[in-house]
Amino acid sequence: MSERGGCGEPAWGPVHRDIVDLLADHPTDVPAVVDHLTKLQDMLVRLPPLLDSCPLADFNKLYLTITSSVLDGLYADRFVDPVFLSRLDVEFAARYFDALRMWSDASPSTPRAWACLFERMRGPDARPLPSAAAGVNAHINFDLPFALVTTFDHLESEPVDGSDQHRDYLEINKIFADKIPGLRRGYLEQWQLLIDMLNGEIDDWYQGELIHYTRDVAWRNAQRIWRCRHDPHQHERERRRLDDTAAALGRLLLSPLGAFLQ
Amino acid sequence: MASDVDTTPLVGRDDLMATVRSALLDDVTPGNTAAVFLTGESGVGKTRLLHEVGGQLSHGGALVLTGSCLDIGDASPLHPLRQALRRLDADLAPPTAASVRALLGVFAEDRAGPDGAGALLERVSRGLNVIAGGRPLVLVLDDLQWVDRTTRQLLLYLLAGLGDLQLSVLAAVRSESLQGAHPLRRVLTELRRLRSVRVLDLAPLDRSGTEELATAVMRRPLAPEAAEQLWQRSGGNPFVVEELSRELRDGRDGLSDTLREVFLARVDALPRPAHRAVHAVAAGVEPVEHWLLARVVGLPEHELLDAVRAAVSHRLLVGSADGYRLRHRLVAEVLEDELLPAERALLHRSYAEALTSAPAELHQARLAHHWRLAGEPERALPAAVAAAEEAERLYGYAEAHRHWSVAVQSAEGLPGVDRATLLGRAAEAAHHCGEYARALALLEELAGADTDLPACELHIRRARYLAAAGRSALAEAEYEQALAVADCTPGQRATAAARLAELLLQLGRYAEAGERAREALALAEQVDGATTEVVLASAALGFSEAYRQDPDAGLAVLRRALATAERAGRPEDVALAYLHLAELLTGPLNILEEGVVVARRGAERVAELGLGRSYETRLLAIATNGLFRVGQWAEAEKVVASALRHRPSGADAVELLLARCRLSVGYGDVEAADRDLDAVATILAGGGARHVIPLLTLRAGLAMWQGRHDVARHAVQRGLTETRSDDLVILAVLVWHGLRAEAEAHASRTVAVDDNAVRRLRGIADRVAARSERAARPVRYVIDGYLALCAAEVSRLDGADPELWARAAAEWDHRNHPYPAAYSRLRQAEALLAGRRKAATAGKLLRQAYQMAQALGAVPLTDEIRTLAGRARVALEERGAVESGTSGGSIGEELAALTAREHEVLAAVAEGLTNKEIGQRLFISERTIGVHVSHIFDKLQVRTRVQASAIFLRSRA
Repeated sequence: MSERGGCGEPAWGPVHRDIVDLLADHPTDVPAVVDHLTKLQDMLVRLPPLLDSCPLADFNKLYLTITSSVLDGLYADRFVDPVFLSRLDVEFAARYFDALRMWSDASPSTPRAWACLFERMRGPDARPLPSAAAGVNAHINFDLPFALVTTFDHLESEPVDGSDQHRDYLEINKIFADKIPGLRRGYLEQWQLLIDMLNGEIDDWYQGELIHYTRDVAWRNAQRIWRCRHDPHQHERERRRLDDTAAALGRLLLSPLGAFLQ
Repeated sequence: MASDVDTTPLVGRDDLMATVRSALLDDVTPGNTAAVFLTGESGVGKTRLLHEVGGQLSHGGALVLTGSCLDIGDASPLHPLRQALRRLDADLAPPTAASVRALLGVFAEDRAGPDGAGALLERVSRGLNVIAGGRPLVLVLDDLQWVDRTTRQLLLYLLAGLGDLQLSVLAAVRSESLQGAHPLRRVLTELRRLRSVRVLDLAPLDRSGTEELATAVMRRPLAPEAAEQLWQRSGGNPFVVEELSRELRDGRDGLSDTLREVFLARVDALPRPAHRAVHAVAAGVEPVEHWLLARVVGLPEHELLDAVRAAVSHRLLVGSADGYRLRHRLVAEVLEDELLPAERALLHRSYAEALTSAPAELHQARLAHHWRLAGEPERALPAAVAAAEEAERLYGYAEAHRHWSVAVQSAEGLPGVDRATLLGRAAEAAHHCGEYARALALLEELAGADTDLPACELHIRRARYLAAAGRSALAEAEYEQALAVADCTPGQRATAAARLAELLLQLGRYAEAGERAREALALAEQVDGATTEVVLASAALGFSEAYRQDPDAGLAVLRRALATAERAGRPEDVALAYLHLAELLTGPLNILEEGVVVARRGAERVAELGLGRSYETRLLAIATNGLFRVGQWAEAEKVVASALRHRPSGADAVELLLARCRLSVGYGDVEAADRDLDAVATILAGGGARHVIPLLTLRAGLAMWQGRHDVARHAVQRGLTETRSDDLVILAVLVWHGLRAEAEAHASRTVAVDDNAVRRLRGIADRVAARSERAARPVRYVIDGYLALCAAEVSRLDGADPELWARAAAEWDHRNHPYPAAYSRLRQAEALLAGRRKAATAGKLLRQAYQMAQALGAVPLTDEIRTLAGRARVALEERGAVESGTSGGSIGEELAALTAREHEVLAAVAEGLTNKEIGQRLFISERTIGVHVSHIFDKLQVRTRVQASAIFLRSRA
């Protein structure tokens, strides 16, 4: 079943205990998520052999920056429906923490979309931008649609185009773009180029339509999952499909080709 | 049936077993609930553990009910519970069996009411109470990832303590299922915070556990290479370890590398009849009854028995009293690709035919399932309709909606089917279970279909669905269109106008709401029997006037509506009229005393009309909150207790628990407050976002009395990130709590002040102030009171300003809310004393605050006043000229320090009643009585019940 099946060394080397203890807590609000990511960042940069250049730390740092901006936005009255956005943010982060937890337990269920990035923590070193991009890929292309569905389900609402929630959701794109000029120049555009290049190879990923941002793809995928959420079998097929596609893209980002981003 | 599953020892789970046992039985105090959720991947041994723990708890004196959830997606509401009861019925002696059958009968009854779903929950919990007969009840549920929505709600209801049942829940969840968008994910995230809930992850075995299990199966130790290989291949998954070691033992090692291959080889080795039996079970709904399997495979009895025995010995099937199952999900996965589609369809047809001739468990749902998969839509249709109607009878609208959808699908292209009716009912069920987009889509299909549904009716329904989905602008447009179309009857017009008025009111467009409401009233008066519309429109008009300029006119309208409703005599209309009138008085008009009287009178009246469960509880919740604000806490406590006797559910229950918790926070009864907060959190874990902020506010208030200012800060921060910017009142209350937490942190020096938080809170307070200038007058009035408190709290951080506190006190005096008014006096006195000014004024304020707090029974506030008075050497008792609490006053004076409620408790203590008996008499919890008694001891300066009783009896003499 598992190739690594508990063999010997803990997944997080010398900071294993710290990370496992941190992950034992499940944050339930946005301030707590920011707190969690901050603590995680301190631990990841202590992880040998790559230390400061740990590829996961590159992603975590970016994610922390974005989540902090979301938190500021919530305090500053930036969103129409903060209940939705807070729940989404918490549920979204929970997926990342779940993936880390499964990796800590050497669980064969670790999403492959994430595993391809986690595997690189031992090296070889990857460039920061593709590393962060690989994390963003797993998080947005795989985790986000499910986080959206769970959030809507919990709030007894639905993913409807043009709704307040949809507008708030798109507002996050601006946070990606506004707050991180390097990201916008560096990869939202280039990354899109890469995705477009790949478009033909990854079948039915975009269902033929020209995409603008991956986040829109996540919204569409959420609507797709929403419709089959009561059917365990179809839901599972959908999950595998997204995991496979995100994993393929992630591996590509971390391959020498990914260096093209930087 | 021969099976060696239980002979394999349970390895490596001793600690876990002990933990679960104590969490569910030994550590549960009487009257409380507990839950353990076991998560883990398939094959890790969850079912086995449920079985073992269930057995242990049963030996420990608990009544154990065991059921499993089904993955056919379109099962029946409450299936796992009904299955558990039927199993119990089979095992029990007749007297208990009668109570089980009585409860099973509840599910078969046809009884709809205004609060049907809640009434059903209540009746189920009553039934369980009778069955348990005083024993602790344990509900063991397997495969919870497939739980239906009604069962989920029942679990949360019972775990919140609303069923008044000592219940423990032990449930297993496949962790793979939680990875996607499963609703249980959020439920578990919320529940795992609670003290009474454990979520335990069942990990695979470690290496030595793996070897121990393999050795037990093989009955000899493994060679080192074999052990290594087994460890690598199994990853410690007990199911895999067991099956692989069995292969090894039987000398089949090497042929099959993976579990899949192991099972494939076993299937191939089966004799033909056994082969058929296994595939038949795989296509059935588990457990497959023996008679049913016999019909489906069509074998003579003895051959069938041989076949089944072969399948069991090849470890593909297991048998139990209620039927056959596949040994494991993995077997199903292996079998999935082994049949041709036509073969599978044939099996489903055989099932459907066999079920047609004989009724069975889940009859209609299974029939619909099998006919659909047999490719026979015209025969699936009537079964799906029957299953949908059955689900609706049990208020399982989610399941009903799925059955209706199957019916609509099956009807596609069939001649002679009333498709419009199917679409209409499917849409309505979708609307009821919150599938608004789906409801609207079905309605569109209905509009497109050949239907004689009038356009007006269609617009009104569309508007209803849109409004429920929160899409107000579109809903408004639909109501407008309904009013504009020609085929609208006067009755429909009145309905549309009244609903539109209600919608506009919610959007804060008071002037337009008023206009529409007047229009609706005029229309309704011309129609016979449009009382509902009159009440609805009057409420909209009453509130819109109250928010604009003419509160008295609004009040008069609603009073008239009540009279109209009473004359017409429909109970729901009367109840609604009372509800709106009480809300108007205690809400925007802030005429609290009268509002309380109306609410209580209304509660009595609707109880007479037979609407006790639904409307009486709601009216009593309004009365409780009004009584709390005017400072009649003892009375409020009584009212809330009598409302909770109806065992309300959902939002009504949350409302009441929050009201009771507010009282407990005021009384300083930490344990009772915590319990109610946990109960509310349990219900809210089921979904929805309303009430989260009041929950957080109370948590912050409680934490401050406990000196846990960082906890309070966190609760407020969370609240601020989850509040809409137009919820000005809610924001104002939160900001006050936040600033107060920082000020208390500053004053007590226990926690460092968070300057960032202070800056943010002040910013939000400014924003609220600016926005409130545009708000309606009654809203502004409430906000101003809190903003006064905010400004005063800020001053505590940088040199206390007694003037600001004087202003706050005046504001709250004016609103007739003694609690914040007393608090403000305390702070004003504190500020004066800190500035070494006007000691006499400070003394007077402290005495006033003391009297107010005493009259409320607000213990923590009283304590703070006492502490400050002690430090400032202020005598709190007017006449006694001695410090409070010191003995020496006459007996009458000693008793004067007691609140009304404490007086009642003391009288009962003097009668020799126990706390439990007193609790029953006064409708409050035993624990709360304990708190009252300790306050009484404190105030009377005694240590025993006998001493307290003596003082009480002497005062009577």
